[in-house]
Amino acid sequence: MISDTETAQDTVTYVYGIVPADVETEPNARGVGDPPSPVEIIRHGDIAALVSEISAARPFGRPEDLTAHARLLDAVAAVVPVLPLRFGSGMTNRDVVAVELLANNYDDFLAILRELEGMTQFVVTGRYVEEVILKEVLADSPQMSRLRERTRKLSENEGRDEKIVLGEGINKAIGLKRIADTGAMRDALEPLCAEITEREAAHELDAVNLACLGETGKRGAIRDAVEEFANRHEGRIELRLLGPMAPYDFVMAQEPQD
Amino acid sequence: MTAAVEPYGGRGGSGGLADVIDSILDKGLVIDAFVRVSVVGIELVTIDARIVVASVDTYLQFAEAVNRLDLSSTEKKGLPQLLDDMAEGGAKSKTKGAIEGVGESLRESLQDTEKNEGD
Repeated sequence: MISDTETAQDTVTYVYGIVPADVETEPNARGVGDPPSPVEIIRHGDIAALVSEISAARPFGRPEDLTAHARLLDAVAAVVPVLPLRFGSGMTNRDVVAVELLANNYDDFLAILRELEGMTQFVVTGRYVEEVILKEVLADSPQMSRLRERTRKLSENEGRDEKIVLGEGINKAIGLKRIADTGAMRDALEPLCAEITEREAAHELDAVNLACLGETGKRGAIRDAVEEFANRHEGRIELRLLGPMAPYDFVMAQEPQD
Repeated sequence: MTAAVEPYGGRGGSGGLADVIDSILDKGLVIDAFVRVSVVGIELVTIDARIVVASVDTYLQFAEAVNRLDLSSTEKKGLPQLLDDMAEGGAKSKTKGAIEGVGESLRESLQDTEKNEGD
């Protein structure tokens, strides 16, 4: 009923996520867009979509848009279950959100929201302290130490191949440490979380990059577990715990198959 | 230095911009799987700012970093203190630069919206 006009329209209904219908947004909640658009709720039965009307012409995806999207969903996730949509999801207008998104997928969304009841996502990231981890690699590997001895006396332009072999060996050794440390952190979190997924390393010095879905009430215990791990690796891994946040890492598998 | 775990207060949620990018750019429910016709293709000007892991550049950087190290505990002493300081300063600023670089490159790409993903 709408496809003919979709290229000509001025505004897009931006959808942040799906929530239970009894959610209220604060009147001053700021959404994406420039200036920030108000956040509205479109309800259908027991579920609802959090949306903003945004300009279809403006470039989208400024840092402010990213943080507004995340901030809104995270604030909601701290209180009620939320099904976050991927950043940049828009529909032609409010009516199609109500009908095509909410009504047509009502049972699926309701089931997922019930599963997520009382759950929230936490992310644990850890970064190796470069100097410390490099010394550790050298101490572990006589071969790397020998290579270092040979290459460190060379000028910048000499021994490129040997330096690549050295760097590749270090990268591989750090990769093995990453697997071990990620596994240990995962073991510590496993009893406290319903689900854990390993995120891809985003940096060559990443030690840990885990997303976990846990009961909101377990957040104290999760923090204790991360803190204990951080203390054990003090000076070696810099750990951070993010959350509570919307379960971004745990909704992708819910996509229906064709 | 105590354990560097962020308290729940403070920024909370997804953290800073680099963390937000990691969480929301390629995650979350894909709307196209549920609705086909009326999805609007919003053109994103953001880029995937994650650093490519394990390239030759990475290897050369590691080689350089390891060659800068002062291993005074395992090799003969007497290396100039200056070298030690340089190695430490270098390592620190490098890490910090990489983290800030994410926001930086994002902002750069936004200033030039014509430019598509460069690499």
